[in-house]
Amino acid sequence: MNRRAFMKTLAGGALAIGLNSGLGPLPSKSLRAQGFPDLVATKGTDLTAMFDRSLEALGGLGQFVKNGQTVLIKPNMAWAVDPAGAANTNPGLLSHIVKNVLNLGAKKVYVFDNTCDNWADAYRVSGLEKSAQEAGATVAPANTESYFQKVVIPGETTLKEIQYHELYLEADVILNVPILKHHGGARMTAAMKNLMGAVWDRRPLHRNGLDETIPELLLYKKPTLNIIDASRIMVSGGPRGHGDSQYLASQMMIVSQDPVAADSAAARLLETAGLKAPKYIEEAARIGMGAADLNSLNIQRLTA
Amino acid sequence: MRRTPARIRRLIAYALLALFVAALLYPASMEEVLQILPKLQFGQLTAAMMSNGSQKFVVIVSVMSVLTLLFGRFFCAGLCPMGALMDMVSLLRGVISKQKFAYKPAKKSRMIVPFLVLILLWLGLNIPFGLLEPYSLFVSKSLFYPGPSILLFAVIILAACRGRAFCNSLCPAGFILRILSSATKYHLKFDQNQCLRCGVCSQVCRTSAIDGNEQNIDRSRCVLCLDCLSVCPNRSLTWGTLPPASLPLRRPFLHQLPLVILAAGTYLTPASIRAKSFYPPKTAPVLPPGALSLAHLNAHCSLCHSCIIVCPNEVLIPSGENSPSLWARPVLNPYNGFCQYDCTLCTTICPTGALIGMTVEEKHISRLGMVYFEREECVVIKNRTSCGACAEMCPTGAVRMITGLYGDEEPDIKKEFCIGCGACQNVCPVRPFSAIRVQGLLVQQTAVQPVKVESEDLTLNEDFPF
Repeated sequence: MNRRAFMKTLAGGALAIGLNSGLGPLPSKSLRAQGFPDLVATKGTDLTAMFDRSLEALGGLGQFVKNGQTVLIKPNMAWAVDPAGAANTNPGLLSHIVKNVLNLGAKKVYVFDNTCDNWADAYRVSGLEKSAQEAGATVAPANTESYFQKVVIPGETTLKEIQYHELYLEADVILNVPILKHHGGARMTAAMKNLMGAVWDRRPLHRNGLDETIPELLLYKKPTLNIIDASRIMVSGGPRGHGDSQYLASQMMIVSQDPVAADSAAARLLETAGLKAPKYIEEAARIGMGAADLNSLNIQRLTA
Repeated sequence: MRRTPARIRRLIAYALLALFVAALLYPASMEEVLQILPKLQFGQLTAAMMSNGSQKFVVIVSVMSVLTLLFGRFFCAGLCPMGALMDMVSLLRGVISKQKFAYKPAKKSRMIVPFLVLILLWLGLNIPFGLLEPYSLFVSKSLFYPGPSILLFAVIILAACRGRAFCNSLCPAGFILRILSSATKYHLKFDQNQCLRCGVCSQVCRTSAIDGNEQNIDRSRCVLCLDCLSVCPNRSLTWGTLPPASLPLRRPFLHQLPLVILAAGTYLTPASIRAKSFYPPKTAPVLPPGALSLAHLNAHCSLCHSCIIVCPNEVLIPSGENSPSLWARPVLNPYNGFCQYDCTLCTTICPTGALIGMTVEEKHISRLGMVYFEREECVVIKNRTSCGACAEMCPTGAVRMITGLYGDEEPDIKKEFCIGCGACQNVCPVRPFSAIRVQGLLVQQTAVQPVKVESEDLTLNEDFPF
């Protein structure tokens, strides 16, 4: 082995160690080893009860949130649309999660979104700012570039660097709480697409193709847990919703540590309304971000 | 010495100035202030009256005119933010130099500039007016536009050297108020028995209007700062009824001039009509909501830039075009931002009616521009990737994603719904020019309101489709 090869190996090893220590081994492995399911889907009419039931099946929220940790809850509050429009995460669900996280002794709970509509309007009209604050979370702004930090994405990627919100990078635990919707550009928005709200400049993602770039958002840091609000799904006119948008009353919640698996299950729900599954799910599985094939997973189906 | 009146005057003027600045900085939370204060600006009201030819502003202008006829230039003393700013600057002057003010006889030549500015305003050319009117000057402090900010700087320097000289030599509102107040009945006067002829009052008068030796105050130039009361050692300045004054203009009928100008502007062919012949425009940029048309905007806009400063999305900018019909007018630049669907702030603040106030419902169908889609440049077509950013942002559904020839989603334009807010152009990832853009309209239009269809929610056939 000459010096150059040695250096390459060394660099590769360092990268591997860095990746491992940074991201850790896939946490679902350890949960799986404990006998918990890979994905929990819960039917019901009350989102808070559905959340409790789902987390119970995964061994409780304490599996993911420990005393003294900084927790980021990332809802979808991109739109100045009231909760009846189902364009943003349900405010009741968000406040319920905030309270549960605080009860587990979290040091600090943050909530933010880099909104599409004017941020002050979106935070207010969605009702999420109020509900999160009342539950005890800190609602952080994400409306200027100064809150974001640039990170370099390792490997052969389309996006060489991404500007993540500093809280996304700092948080010990990230709870990704999207609402499932039709999306005109990407076909569907759920767990993976919701992470675009933690990124400052989204134009590079659109410019280079959403199907290729959305999975790459997971390369640097993955959410700890994905909780998809699929109680009432906008199946046309998404993601904002138009006056003639149609909805699917699916009354479901999908919870998984694997954002690809969660999105894969969510896509099945959209398919029942005649929509096509987004291409970024397969792409995410291809680059090893999770499992797209639901048959290979241990899925627990519950009713709350 | 009676310091209280001057202190109260300063308190009011500075409080209003602070309120003004706060409202411009935090427009969304101080909308009420924006609805009142700019609409009490005499200069803006003048422009509004003369260009609208409507009765809307007549009442408030009449009330202010009568009050000025009776009590002098109270507006300059308290309501004018630029005046308050100049007072602050002249306070500094006292610290820097010990040079005092001195009485100077009125010069008629000082009335030429504002007079010409008003004549041009009457003719429909309002750019000079916009540059010299104090509210416009104050608000368009405009870090944005070189013209007004250099002017503002010059006016501040003038204030530092000559106190309120601006108000009596350049200000078009001051011109009208000056003539109105020249024969004021109830005003400051000397108590002949008390006055020591010390001349201290002349030395503090920032308009050089007090002749201490002759015991005479030029009421037309006095801006009622009341500082003379604070310094008079023998309390010889009091309020009282005065005999008719010597008038600044030789011919008495000229004192009806401001009223003649206002009436002529208001009732004889409003400037909006004259403006059309002044600069017939051929194309237009995207104009702010409520502008109605480029001709309407040109006729009424006094270049105060209030709309630009309050715009929460920073989409409004002063036009960079150097034509008389567009120079420094507020226009949308969708590359900076986009016009928020539910926001009507700019139409709220406009003091001259250049932007007609509207409800949120009216805003929803107010078309500022028309979408233009350059299909070959779109990343979806060009690279066959997924994007849809434009459709995502479109608030009306004028841009939607449909399944195209290749089975992929691509933008589809429904022009009838487009309101020209610029969200699509703003978010489009293609640069330097977006593949989807908004083109301006000479006359703004009404868009078709998308029909609301409340359909029953679909239900799942099976409990778990996976």
